[in-house]
Amino acid sequence: MVRNILHKVALILFFESCVFFSNAQSTDKQKTITQDSLFTNSIGMKFILIQPGSMIVGKFQPTVYKTSQSSDSVYRVALEMAKHDAMPGFEINIKQPYYIGQFEITQGQWEKVMGTNPSFFKGDKVKDDASQHPVENVSWHDAQQFIKKLNEAEKGKAVYRLPSEFEWEYAARAGAKDDISWGDIGKTAVIATSTTSIVGKKQPNAWGLYDMLGNVWEWVQDYYNEKIFADTVPPKKGKEHVLKGASFYGDVKNATYMTHAAGPASRYDVGFRVVMEIK
Amino acid sequence: MKTFVLLFIVTTAINVHAQTGKIPEGFTSIFNGKNLKGWHISRSTHQGTTPHFYVESGVVVANENPYGQGGLLMTDKQYKNFELYIEVKIDSFANGGIFLRSNEGGAAYQVELVLPGATGDFIGERIQLSKGAKATDRQKVWKANDWNAFRIRMVGDTPHVTLWINDVQMWDVTEPKNDMIAQANEGMIALQCHWTAVYSPAAGNGMPLSSWQPGAAHRYRNIAIKKIN
Repeated sequence: MVRNILHKVALILFFESCVFFSNAQSTDKQKTITQDSLFTNSIGMKFILIQPGSMIVGKFQPTVYKTSQSSDSVYRVALEMAKHDAMPGFEINIKQPYYIGQFEITQGQWEKVMGTNPSFFKGDKVKDDASQHPVENVSWHDAQQFIKKLNEAEKGKAVYRLPSEFEWEYAARAGAKDDISWGDIGKTAVIATSTTSIVGKKQPNAWGLYDMLGNVWEWVQDYYNEKIFADTVPPKKGKEHVLKGASFYGDVKNATYMTHAAGPASRYDVGFRVVMEIK
Repeated sequence: MKTFVLLFIVTTAINVHAQTGKIPEGFTSIFNGKNLKGWHISRSTHQGTTPHFYVESGVVVANENPYGQGGLLMTDKQYKNFELYIEVKIDSFANGGIFLRSNEGGAAYQVELVLPGATGDFIGERIQLSKGAKATDRQKVWKANDWNAFRIRMVGDTPHVTLWINDVQMWDVTEPKNDMIAQANEGMIALQCHWTAVYSPAAGNGMPLSSWQPGAAHRYRNIAIKKIN
């Protein structure tokens, strides 16, 4: 009897050590792939490998900015209200690595795949090469059509889809635990202007991704929950889909990783980037 | 009987604050006084995506929600050439505005609503306005802590805009060009509740507390439009 128990314990220990060894190997293997690992597909779309990790989503720490116009009593009430409405957020674990577009899908790439260009800011509407501007004036369903055709064209080579909101935000944060500062938004985001811009003109984020903030809003896969931030699980149905990242006429207020917006927006301010799955 | 009389008095008191039916002749109401049918919240403006706009006693009330997050209430329809009639009652230290030809993200021509400050001035929101205008005579007609009637006429691809407050013309301005994004010559009417807080101090200070003080509100009633061909 005791011998049987000892035998079972030995087996459990053996299997657990195998699992541990396997996990350790897997972790080591992942570490050898650096965050700036690049992949370029057959139509020139560039992707960056994003490694698993975690982040806090929806942590709301509203600021209270007192000036001489407001009394101390008003300030105290504001502090109480801000404290009452603050939210701790929740941890999201990104368990699988994935590739995400280094740039927003351009008008040129859309045209290669779809044979058309629905964008508003094309031709003489911009002063430079419109084909390098992000495609816009695309609905969430239009984006799905693009992805379907891209998958058909790249059949057997890769599988593409829109990022989930959390995949998008994790890539946009690039390891940042708190929100982005207004100064850094100015360096990385095309905002406060009147047209889209050629992709990649601003500084990339820490993981080498361009225009995650500004230029065009980006569709993600998820339905919108009509709340200030995402829930831990997105709704199964909804009227609109989530938009992330703000657009060329955005403001430092909403051109942050955290903004959880939704369609339809103004159409000429909405584009997307895609994720390439790792099989 | 006493209950009935009390109910009658309360109902009458509520109706005093409700829509007064003073919409000018030739205008069509775009707010039914009961709910926000025909209007929607912008989910893509930097002002905030979850403001608290609600109807109370025939009046649209605007508040931030949650703390520091403003937003825009927009008409579902777009308007090109029109006259807008709207009565407003605004608390001090609460910055809002009447957006004209707004896009969904809240880029628009704007008639400012802020006290103390530039109420009635013509400014741009997320656009570079070529030619603004100031309501320098507003104080002569302004009814403090009360309802004030705004009538705004906007016509032309290159807009020609006129503002009357309480039936007195404040300004009349013709823009040298169309400043709207994508050269849009039509858009939504939108009511603004300004934001004050950013999501985290790591981002920045946010806006001064006086941009929308705790408990402040803007109120709107008798909202009507006359399309101009």
